[in-house]
Amino acid sequence: METLVYTALFAPLVGSLFAALFAMSPKRQMTGVVTSILLFVSFFSSAKVLMHVVEHGEVHIKLMDWIVAGDMYIPFGFNVDAVSAVMMTVVTLVSMVVHIYSNGYMEHDRSFNRFFSYLSAFVFSMMVLVMSDNFLGLFIGWEGVGVCSWLLIGFWYHKEDVGRDVNPSISPSWAANEAFIMNRIADLGMLVGIFLIYWNVGSLQYDKVFEVVPGLDHGLLVMIGIFLFIGAMGKSAQFPMHTWLADAMEGPTPVSALIHAATMVTAGVYLVIRANPLYELIPEVSYFIASLGTFVAIFAASMALVNRDLKRIIAYSTLSQLGYMFAAAGLGAYWVALFHLAAHAFFKALLFLGAGNVMHAMHDELDIFKMGGLKKVMKWTYIYMGVASLALCGIWPLAGFYSKDTILEVAFNEHTYIIWFILWLTAGMTAFYSFRLVFIAFWGDERYKKLGFHPHEVQNYVLWGMLPLGILAVVFGWHKESFMEFVTEMLPAYEMSEHTHHMVATLTVATTLIALGGILLAFRLYSVRLRRDEKVEKSKIYKVLSNQYYIPIFYKNTFSEPYAKLSEIAWKEVDMQVVDATVDGIANIIEESGDAARQAQSGNLSDYLRWIAIGAIALAVLALFAALKS
Amino acid sequence: MENILSVLVFFPLVAAILGFLVGKKSIRVYGISVATIEFLLTLWLWFAFDNSNGGFQFIEYIPLVSEFGINYYLGVDGISLFIVIMAALMTLVGIIALNVKKDLKNMIITLLFLEVAMIGVFVSLDAIVFYLFWEFSLVPMLYIIGAWGGELRLYAAIKFFLYTFAGSLVMLVGMLYMAYVYHSVSGVWSFAITDWYALVLPLSIQKWLFWAFFLGFAIKVPMFPFHTWLPYAHGQAPTVGSVILAAVLLKMGSYGFVRFSLPMFPDASVAYITPVAIIAIIMIIYTAMVAYAQKDMKQVIAYSSISHMGVIVLGTFAMNAEGISGSIFQMLSHGIVSGALFLLVGVIYDRRHTKLMSEFGGLALVMPKYALIFGIMMMASVGLPLTIGFIGEYLSLAGFFKISPMLTLLAGTSIILGAIYMLSLYKRSFFGPVTNEANAKLPDLDSKELTALVPLVALVVWLGVYPKPVLGPIDNSVKALVTFMHEKAQTSEAKSVIVVSKRTKEAK
Repeated sequence: METLVYTALFAPLVGSLFAALFAMSPKRQMTGVVTSILLFVSFFSSAKVLMHVVEHGEVHIKLMDWIVAGDMYIPFGFNVDAVSAVMMTVVTLVSMVVHIYSNGYMEHDRSFNRFFSYLSAFVFSMMVLVMSDNFLGLFIGWEGVGVCSWLLIGFWYHKEDVGRDVNPSISPSWAANEAFIMNRIADLGMLVGIFLIYWNVGSLQYDKVFEVVPGLDHGLLVMIGIFLFIGAMGKSAQFPMHTWLADAMEGPTPVSALIHAATMVTAGVYLVIRANPLYELIPEVSYFIASLGTFVAIFAASMALVNRDLKRIIAYSTLSQLGYMFAAAGLGAYWVALFHLAAHAFFKALLFLGAGNVMHAMHDELDIFKMGGLKKVMKWTYIYMGVASLALCGIWPLAGFYSKDTILEVAFNEHTYIIWFILWLTAGMTAFYSFRLVFIAFWGDERYKKLGFHPHEVQNYVLWGMLPLGILAVVFGWHKESFMEFVTEMLPAYEMSEHTHHMVATLTVATTLIALGGILLAFRLYSVRLRRDEKVEKSKIYKVLSNQYYIPIFYKNTFSEPYAKLSEIAWKEVDMQVVDATVDGIANIIEESGDAARQAQSGNLSDYLRWIAIGAIALAVLALFAALKS
Repeated sequence: MENILSVLVFFPLVAAILGFLVGKKSIRVYGISVATIEFLLTLWLWFAFDNSNGGFQFIEYIPLVSEFGINYYLGVDGISLFIVIMAALMTLVGIIALNVKKDLKNMIITLLFLEVAMIGVFVSLDAIVFYLFWEFSLVPMLYIIGAWGGELRLYAAIKFFLYTFAGSLVMLVGMLYMAYVYHSVSGVWSFAITDWYALVLPLSIQKWLFWAFFLGFAIKVPMFPFHTWLPYAHGQAPTVGSVILAAVLLKMGSYGFVRFSLPMFPDASVAYITPVAIIAIIMIIYTAMVAYAQKDMKQVIAYSSISHMGVIVLGTFAMNAEGISGSIFQMLSHGIVSGALFLLVGVIYDRRHTKLMSEFGGLALVMPKYALIFGIMMMASVGLPLTIGFIGEYLSLAGFFKISPMLTLLAGTSIILGAIYMLSLYKRSFFGPVTNEANAKLPDLDSKELTALVPLVALVVWLGVYPKPVLGPIDNSVKALVTFMHEKAQTSEAKSVIVVSKRTKEAK
């Protein structure tokens, strides 16, 4: 079993290093093929490990010591339980598909080899994140995926910075730095959480920590819970640290599919699920998590309503769905959160890959208003994106129906009706913006023709490569019961009350109705041709939404620019004018007083005599005082 | 080899003197050979070192001025061992990468003299011998900056010399007073550090002595507000000067805290944790901001050094094994990483004769290998896990968290602010299109530069993934140190703040 676990973990690393060997040479198809095969190996091993965990329970192995100092003892230890095994399988499966897909997508990129090196390195970091048996091991993966994300968002680093009005993300390298720095802010919170655990538990191993946690002071647990969640907020782009995710769309689309939709951004959700014994004990923090998640769900969905950028719409939808996951986890339905996480990974990755096909066909044009009628030329992409959108909207019998509906039931069951209502409303918005995208891009008049585009379907093997995700987006939900049975070995089982049981049918109908309503509205507005309403587009609320509530501007004006100014002042005014000037001032005083004193040694005898006389008088006065005193 | 430490100190000295006889053509080979042998000797020292022993090893003792208790007294423990190895390594790397056209011979001889001083400081167990090496180290560096520096080299060299010299004089006064106190208690003169350790001083005396030593170390580190000599020194020094200065000479200050302040004045050290920590936090935040404002690549690294040294000082004053081990590990990490970063800045300076970031942009397209190594070192500098930079920073902060969670939270901003100035440096210089024609055809790293840099990259990754061979011996000695401090401490405050790790207790 150890071998299988290590194979699953290290196969992507081997692939990454292999591709890195050719990072600076021209494209070699081999790097794409080898890394994809190794990802398949990793996926296969993960699936085997999953089977093993289903049958025999968790696997715990230790590779070697890492940090040993004082009482700090951190090994490279890996614990594969139900939660990790699910995460591993989902991550490697999506990654494998994305690797295969990228062979086609990055075909003409001169940094083909480098791309695969980064992509596999990301998978390795993500595996470390989900497999570690302690908080610091998780932190390795946590920061590792951050760096890979930085590398991949900024993959086309040669692009120039442009104004926000031209490109709201400014440039790939700008977006990459924003993502890294914002995540670092959250990581500090997480580190503090880790320190708190260490000094109060004496260990960072999950099993030890969760064993001790019930005996700890409540206030302390609240602090730990909050600080760990700050870390989760950064990685999962929760408000107010959400701006980086939309800007991260500057990366190549396969990256958006893998990192900024299916895997990395769910790390925060994973952390909350993993730390469920802690969050169970602090309902107030959990409730905050659920509320914030709910807020983010509708907040992100509102921005998606008006956006014209193909990828940004999907990015906001990711943000919104992450909100759903946090809502579920915060309400104590950890397994539901994990279920939605997995289902979302499949259909959202599919959606992004479909978007990648469209971009490929449209020569990197992202404005959906310039597309239209694409279903004729890109039938399969249309079907994939349609299926993924239906799954996202939660239409029966697709994956999203089962997972999202359960989250709403949970909200209802907890008597948190406001949360339920907002999530319900968001479901309608989700349906509207998803199908707004589908109808504007794939239906209606072929606006692209006037603009001189000649879209075409992508290579067949790319379409075949997407098939596993397509199938899973459909069938994954059917396995809800067995999924629940499996993961609730690790996670607390969530039971609906009698009352909710009676209401299930009504709730389901209500959710389905609002989703269908959203789709219908989009159909009416956009299925025939692109209908634009000047009045709406000029309205204040439209502007607020399309400018992301002016938050990026607000951050720039309140944080980045004042920080730059303050830094200037610290350097030029304080360091140079005060600190250093004082040092030089002291030196000058010494020099000048030396200069002045030098006058005394003029070589003039009468001067010397005068000084002797002054000295003698001074001594005499001193002696007199001394005599008087005694 | 019982006299290995003497060999380590005197071999470069003899080699430096003999270097005057070597011809100009073969001086580079000569310098590299000497530095290599010295480095291998330090490695031998490591292999011969007994990892389970936390005390001093390879002790050498020859009376010099017995009446005053001044002796030739050397030894290493886990705390100094790796700094010695790093000093030898960075000298070797510096000589390999050396790219001065003018007076190469003098430069190499000066570097060998400097190596004598550096090794000497870290192996001395006698305060006077320590002080001699400490002051002696100023001379070669003064010469390196003054003779091979930029336009303001004389100003920078003199500032560096006078400033640090002034601090050391106060430290010397402290040493003499310490010896005087020792004499008045025991009736004999002694400058042996180990003797001084045994001396239990009243808090009032400890306080005075603490500040006397503190000033000497603080200027060397350099701690705010005594840091302004450093940007000048780095700004004017040739690449090799900056490498040695950042990698090794600054560590003399932080090493001094561990070797002198903590074990000799445990009560005073505990009493002054808060003011020292506040200075350290000012260093971390304020200099990180100043670093962000810089236009010159080298100045960014120079200010970032001060910021990182703040973390080291903080870890030292954590008063537990986690923090102190972390801070010593961070000294090594900062030595290797900042040394490498200065080498890297030197590479681009050699090609373009400018270090202004506005002159660059898009270097990653032109010099991919350079960009890769710079990127790795940058990630180590911002403390990415699995690089060498993470472990020390993490342990230092974790250790100090025990003292004050609030102050640690402030100090922890180093992981954010560090990312801000480093990533913006990287973006400005390496990303974007190649806008400046002069950069369009720059050659990538040549074999000489790769020889110097690749081993450092290997170290950064190796010690980031598997720090145990280094961290283990450090931790052993630190645990012994902490236990000793705990036993020696008199005030109840110090007894409770100095935390002996549980494993040490169990071992007893």
